[in-house]
Amino acid sequence: MIEAKGLKKTYTISKKAGFLRKEKQKVKAVDGIDLTISEGEIVGLLGLNGAGKTTTIKMLCTLLNPTAGTISVDGLDAVCDAMAVKGLVNMIAGGERMLYWRLTGAENLRYFGKLYGLHGLELEEKISSLLSQVGLSEVSDTPVELYSKGMKQRLQIARGLINDPRYLFLDEPTLGLDVPVAKQLRETVKNLAKEQQKGILLTSHYLEEVEELCDRVYIIEKGKIVLHDTPQKITETVVNEFHVSVETRTLSALEQSKLAKGLPSCKIQFLPSSDGTILEIKAPFDPTSIIIAICVEQKISIQKLELKRPRLEDAILALAKEKSA
Amino acid sequence: MRCMSILWAEAVKSHQHNFHNKLVYFSLLIWPALLFVTSYYSFKPFNLSATGPLSAYIETDQIILFLLTGYLAYIFFWSLVQSAWNMSYERQAGTLELIFLTPVSRITVMYARAAGNLFEAVWLFTLFTLLVLLTTGQADHIHWANVPIALLFLSISAIVWGGFLNIVFLFSRDAGILFTIFEEPMQFFSGVRIPVLAFPVWGKVIAFFFPLTYVLDIFRKLILDGAGLLQLIDQFLMLAGVLAILFTVSVLLLKKAEHHAKETGNMVLF
Ligand SMILES: Nc1ncnc2c1ncn2[C@@H]1O[C@H](COP(=O)(O)OP(=O)(O)OP(=O)(O)O)[C@@H](O)[C@H]1O
Ligand SMILES: [Mg+2]
Repeated sequence: MIEAKGLKKTYTISKKAGFLRKEKQKVKAVDGIDLTISEGEIVGLLGLNGAGKTTTIKMLCTLLNPTAGTISVDGLDAVCDAMAVKGLVNMIAGGERMLYWRLTGAENLRYFGKLYGLHGLELEEKISSLLSQVGLSEVSDTPVELYSKGMKQRLQIARGLINDPRYLFLDEPTLGLDVPVAKQLRETVKNLAKEQQKGILLTSHYLEEVEELCDRVYIIEKGKIVLHDTPQKITETVVNEFHVSVETRTLSALEQSKLAKGLPSCKIQFLPSSDGTILEIKAPFDPTSIIIAICVEQKISIQKLELKRPRLEDAILALAKEKSA
Repeated sequence: MRCMSILWAEAVKSHQHNFHNKLVYFSLLIWPALLFVTSYYSFKPFNLSATGPLSAYIETDQIILFLLTGYLAYIFFWSLVQSAWNMSYERQAGTLELIFLTPVSRITVMYARAAGNLFEAVWLFTLFTLLVLLTTGQADHIHWANVPIALLFLSISAIVWGGFLNIVFLFSRDAGILFTIFEEPMQFFSGVRIPVLAFPVWGKVIAFFFPLTYVLDIFRKLILDGAGLLQLIDQFLMLAGVLAILFTVSVLLLKKAEHHAKETGNMVLF
C-alpha cells in the first residue's frame, strides 16, 4: 500500500521585478494531502488546471521531494529509500513526449528495460509480451515517429510496465486520444488493476473516465483535498437534484398547469416535440411517482420516461458553483 | 556487466538519434578536416625554418604531424561537448526525467552516454588522419607501437571529460555557453595548433584548466617522440590527478543535480 501523509510541496520561483531585479516567490502547489492507494485499486485524482495533481504524482514516484509530509510505499520511505521505491513504481503521462522518436518501439522498451537492470532473453521476452499486450507487435520495428498518437500512448503504457511495477501513476493518459482509442486504453487500465492487482493512481480531465474506472476519487483544489469518496457517493451527496424527462402526447394549457401545480418546488419546462410534448423536470427529490400519478389521473399516456442519473460532472460543477458563491 | 549493457544501450540510442542521416558526416569528417587544412595553410606563410620562432618548440618539418595529432585529440574531446549538448533534447522530450525515474546508477549512465557516443563520433576522422599520414609520407615518423596505448589514454580521458559535461548539462538548459567556451578557446589553449610552451604565462595558466592540454602532451610524446611509459611518469601522474579531480567533481555535481531537480522540478523545464 502507498500511504501519503501531510504531503506538501512549495516551489520557490523567481519572478521578474524589474529589468535585473528578481523576486523570490513561494508557490504552494500541494498543501497537506493525505492519500492511500492499495494494490488492485484504481484511485482518481481530480482537480482543475494547476490544482497540484502532477506535482502530487511526481512526489509519489520520487521525482520530487516533498517539502513536508511522508510517503511510504510498501513500508519504504519515498525520500530515504528512493532507489528501492523506483523499482516498485512507474509513471505514464499523456501526450506524445517521453519516448525516443527515432528509436523503434522495441528499441525504446529495450533501452528502458536495461536501465531497470533487465537483460538478455528475459528482457527480449518481456518486450515481446508487452508489445503484444498493447497491440503493437506488428510495428515493433517501426520508428516511433511514424506511430499515431494512440500507438505512442500504448507504447508509453508498455514502457510503464517494463519493470512490472506494483503501483502505476497515470497523468492524463487519454489526453488527446479519440473515443475508441481512449476506450481501449481504459480497458487496459482496468485489467491492470483487476487482473494484475496493480495499484493505480489516475488523473484525468475526462470525468466519465474517472467515473467508469475509479474505485475512489480524491478531489483536490489549490493543493488541498476537498472531497474523498467513491464516484457514486460524491455524486449523491453533492448533486441533490433529480432530472426527469417525460414524453407525452401534446398537452393542453390546462393539463400543463395541473402538472405544474402537482409538482411544487420543481422546475418544469414544456417543450414541443414532433408528435407531442416533452417535459423536463428538475426536482430536489425523485419525482417519478408523482408524475405518473398525475398522468394517470389526467389520462395522459406516457410514451417515454427517463430518470437521468446525476453524473460526477454535475457534482464537480456544483462544487465549483458552491465555492464561487 | 551491467555497465556494458547500459553502454551498449546508450550507443544504440545515440546511433539512431545523432548519427542517423548523411549530414552528420559533415560534422564527423568535413568540418574537422577543414579545421586541420586551414590551420596547416595558415602556418605556411610564416617563417618555419630552423631559425623561425616556432622551431624552438616543434620540429617544423613535422608540422603536419603536430596538427594532425592535435586535431585528432581535439575531436575526441569536442565530440563529447556535442553529445552533452544533445542532453537538451532529452530534457525537452521528457526522457531525461524517465531516466531518473529508474533506479539505474546515475554515474554509470553519464559515462556510458559519453562512451557510447565517442566511438561513432571519432572513427571517421581517425581514418582520415591515417589517410593523411600515408599519403603525405609522414607515416615513418609515427611510433606505431605506442599508438594503441595512446589512443586508450585519449579515450579514457575523453570519457571522463564527457561524463563531466553531461552532468553539467543536467543543471541547466542554458549550458550552451559551454559551446562558446570549448570550441575556439579549447582548440587554442590546449595546444592543438600551437604548443602550450610557446604561450606567454597567462596563456599557460588558462591552458592549465583544460584537461585536453595534459592528454595532448602525453599523446604527442607517445606517438611522435616514441617516449616510453616510464619516461612519462610525471605527466601520467599529472593527468591522473586531473582526471581524479574531474571525476570527484562530477560525482558531487551529479548528487547535487538530482537533489536540485527533486526540489525544483527543473528536469522538465525547457
Ligand atoms: N517546476 C515548477 N516550478 C514552479 N512551479 C510549478 C512547477 N510545476 C508546477 N508548478 C506550479 O504548481 C501548481 C500546481 O501544478 P501542477 O502541475 O501540479 O497542476 P496540475 O493539477 O497537474 O494541473 P494540470 O491539470 O494543468 O496538469 C501550479 O500553480 C503550477 O504553476
Ligand atoms: Mg498536470
